Amino acid sequence: MDGAQLTQQIINGLTLGCLYGLIAIGYTLVYGILRLINFAHGDVLMVGCYMAWFGAVQFGLPWWAALMGSMLLTALLGVLIDQGAYRPLRRAPRISALITAIGVSFFLENLGLVVFGGRPKAFLRPEVFNHIYQWGSVRVLSLSVWTPIITGLILAGLLIIIYRTRLGMAMRALSRDLVTVRLMGIDTNRVVAATFAIGSALAAAGGVLWAMKYPQINPLMGVLPGLKAFVAAVLGGIGNVAGAMIGGLLLGLAEILLVAWLPELAGYRDALAFVLLIGILLFKPTGIIGEELPE
Amino acid sequence: MSRRWYEAGPLPAAHTTRRRDTRLTILASLAAAGGLWLLQAFAGGYVVHMTCVAALFAVLAVSYNLINGVAGQFSLEPNAFVACGAYVTALLTLSPAEKAASFILEPIIWPLSVISIPLLPALLIAGLLTALMGFLMGFPVFRVRGDYLAIVTLGFGEVIRVVANNAQAVTNGPLGLKGIPHLTDLWWTGGLLALTLFIIVRLVNSSYGRALKAVREDEVAAEAMGINAFWHKMLAFTTSAFFEGVAGGLLAHLITTISPSLFTFFLTFNLLIIIVVGGLGSNTGAFLAALLFTYGGEWLRVVEEPLNLFGLHIPGIPGMRMVFFSLILVAVMIFMRQGLLGRREFSWRWLWAVLDQRRP
Amino acid sequence: MSGRVLLEAAGLTCRFGGLLAVDGLDFSLASGELAGLIGPNGAGKTTCFNLFTGRVRPTAGQVSFAERPILGLRPSRINQMGLARTFQNIRLFDELSVLENVLVGFHGRLQASFLSAILRLPGYRAEEERMFARAAELLELVGLERLADERAGSLAYGQQRLLEIARALATGPRLLLLDEPAAGMNPQETAHLADLVRRLRDRMGLTILLIEHDMRFVMNLCERLTVLDQGRVIAQGAPREVQQDPAVIRAYLGPGEPVRPGQGAGDA
Ligand SMILES: Nc1ncnc2c1ncn2[C@@H]1O[C@H](COP(=O)(O)OP(=O)(O)O)[C@@H](O)[C@H]1O
Ligand SMILES: [Mg+2]
Repeated sequence: MDGAQLTQQIINGLTLGCLYGLIAIGYTLVYGILRLINFAHGDVLMVGCYMAWFGAVQFGLPWWAALMGSMLLTALLGVLIDQGAYRPLRRAPRISALITAIGVSFFLENLGLVVFGGRPKAFLRPEVFNHIYQWGSVRVLSLSVWTPIITGLILAGLLIIIYRTRLGMAMRALSRDLVTVRLMGIDTNRVVAATFAIGSALAAAGGVLWAMKYPQINPLMGVLPGLKAFVAAVLGGIGNVAGAMIGGLLLGLAEILLVAWLPELAGYRDALAFVLLIGILLFKPTGIIGEELPE
Repeated sequence: MSRRWYEAGPLPAAHTTRRRDTRLTILASLAAAGGLWLLQAFAGGYVVHMTCVAALFAVLAVSYNLINGVAGQFSLEPNAFVACGAYVTALLTLSPAEKAASFILEPIIWPLSVISIPLLPALLIAGLLTALMGFLMGFPVFRVRGDYLAIVTLGFGEVIRVVANNAQAVTNGPLGLKGIPHLTDLWWTGGLLALTLFIIVRLVNSSYGRALKAVREDEVAAEAMGINAFWHKMLAFTTSAFFEGVAGGLLAHLITTISPSLFTFFLTFNLLIIIVVGGLGSNTGAFLAALLFTYGGEWLRVVEEPLNLFGLHIPGIPGMRMVFFSLILVAVMIFMRQGLLGRREFSWRWLWAVLDQRRP
Repeated sequence: MSGRVLLEAAGLTCRFGGLLAVDGLDFSLASGELAGLIGPNGAGKTTCFNLFTGRVRPTAGQVSFAERPILGLRPSRINQMGLARTFQNIRLFDELSVLENVLVGFHGRLQASFLSAILRLPGYRAEEERMFARAAELLELVGLERLADERAGSLAYGQQRLLEIARALATGPRLLLLDEPAAGMNPQETAHLADLVRRLRDRMGLTILLIEHDMRFVMNLCERLTVLDQGRVIAQGAPREVQQDPAVIRAYLGPGEPVRPGQGAGDA
């Protein structure tokens, strides 16, 4: 592989990694606060994609308006799921919440199949994302350049929320100690709801970028990115926003480079995330920037 | 020392009624066998097929419940074990000619290309290999607990599926295996169900079963009482892998065509619903819920098929069943966490007491 | 009374983040002793038990039991060597019956294999018979025989503490570690407990180390006390001597407080 190809692959890897990272942040935020793996996160992403699709194709909205609308509606969906399915189980054993999350995930997937149909829908790239940049022999789709930029902007916004607002302060406090925060008179339920809203909006953004990359959507599209993003979150140390992003980037790079260097293993690409996961749990169960795994 | 209190005492009387219970169990088994014989002789092919499926689901649910409900290690891997069992058995029983015909993209590797053995040894080998897989999986898997355990085991299921899709020369990739002889009948499935119930119920009621429950209740305390939690989890995991592998083998010989898409997380999800609805930890619950799920699920097909009601045409909604099942799972978790039976089990003593009350 | 050294810790240190819970502890216990480990709340007593039983790995130091090093062994292995414990914050198997809780205690020493248990081979059956008989004896010993079929989680507090002792005894220990066994008991129950502990030592030949805040209980029962404060041993000896020790009084009451010997100290 020559330098140009390598550069190209690294750009592809980073782009993919940004998507994993955006999705992983949703897992990490929720996990940090509720110690719940929101199994339905990937499917929330799928719904976000359909929202954007309806906005762009059915209502002819410009891509950025469709994206914004989708993020908003998906945030609402996240809050609904939390309030409807998870909130009644806040004091139940954690496994009950996990089982519920699995149920919600299947509910969304199958409802998606019923409502949207099983046939994939084409997700057209808007013009800005659809031309090729060329530097020497490096050829890159403009989407691949824009993805890290958009991700960076979203991440900056998120960090401002987390570190510069009262909500963010409450979220950070909550991820340390639920009981104390409750005693301090913060409405924990609203903070949890806001966390779901933010995480789901990020999933929608990641999903729409994902959909433009492939470029099609179907009701089961959220499963694999969801699972892999979870692995990315664990890779980076779950509960840690920066860790989730780093984990996502590493996973994206690892997948692309695996296929580039060992094309005969291309079919095994989807297993790589889990092999990494098993490796981490065996050798460094705390992830890259992690604290102790909870018992 | 005096042992009188428990020999004559009111409740731990399980000892005193053991002989009666054994006789009743034998009687019930004979009755069940008679029922199978009647089904085989008089029922239609469809009912027989559904009963085979129900029995296999009961086997899967009871084995899955051993690790999830009894030992309390919430895991999501049965699809991996069933896939392993199904592929191994099918590859062992398929005739060389059949294999040569279906492996069109890449020829099947030697010695699989020439092997063809009867079902019984094939099932045994499949069960043992699946158990071995479970044993090896257990080392990384049981380093973690709770939701991590769930995700890692789920990951194993995905890895197995990816392997089945890609190891062309062994599994025939996405095309899967066709023309598997239709050897599974009521006797095979009924026999496996009886064996599974016999072994797992006895395991749960033995000292080993108590140890597993202790690990579920409080792992720290169990360790402090001399129970090696790791090896006991491995024991439950490997045992459940064995039976799930054998059930997978019979499943392959019931439906005669298998491919990786059959063994997705979807299969695990169905089993999860069964054991949760039955009551995590109850063998009786797992058994009953498996029957309920298979027959009830069949009955629910009406919502997916177009319906003509007094001239009114209602189009069927494919996929509606699964929407319904997922809602059931969520609802059970929120409103009825104990499921149908909680951790209660059927026992002859219980039945005796019920009958006693009814007696005038 | 006291024989050879049964449990020995040397330079045992345990750090949790910035907190030094146990700080270079040297401690030994002779076979047949009935000793007490006391100290104010947070002194590191429970952590010592956790270190002895393998639940927590020390940052530094050595522990040996019956002259064999036990550092790094699994808790279950250590228990099987003859070191059993109870928990300060009771950890019974709540959903199991009282009898089953005790039966679980025998499992670690079960000889019969898994297959033998499933097939109910004679070897397993004989062992199970013995298990049931011994469990009955143990429940009788602690006075819970009438409650054998109750859910363990449904017992009263004091009864749960007794059941924890019965369960620990079922593992066949040589050394029994009791973590605040009298906490939450009424005076009557406490008296019964003191009686039980003494019988365990005198008749069954157990070595016993107990943590307790009830000073009267400790003073009357233990032959030797070790006082821990902030992870260090600050006094050691016969109960009466220890009680008069100025360092101990300071640790319990804070500097400058009036001294009232014989009064219960620490929390309940
Ligand atoms: N697992 C743990 N993690 C962090 N700190 C701990 C842990 N266990 C005990 N501690 C701390 O160590 C100190 C000693 O605790 P402990 O041994 O329980 O005291 P005692 O039993 O004497 O009351 C306390 O400050 C406690 O908070
Ligand atoms: Mg303590």
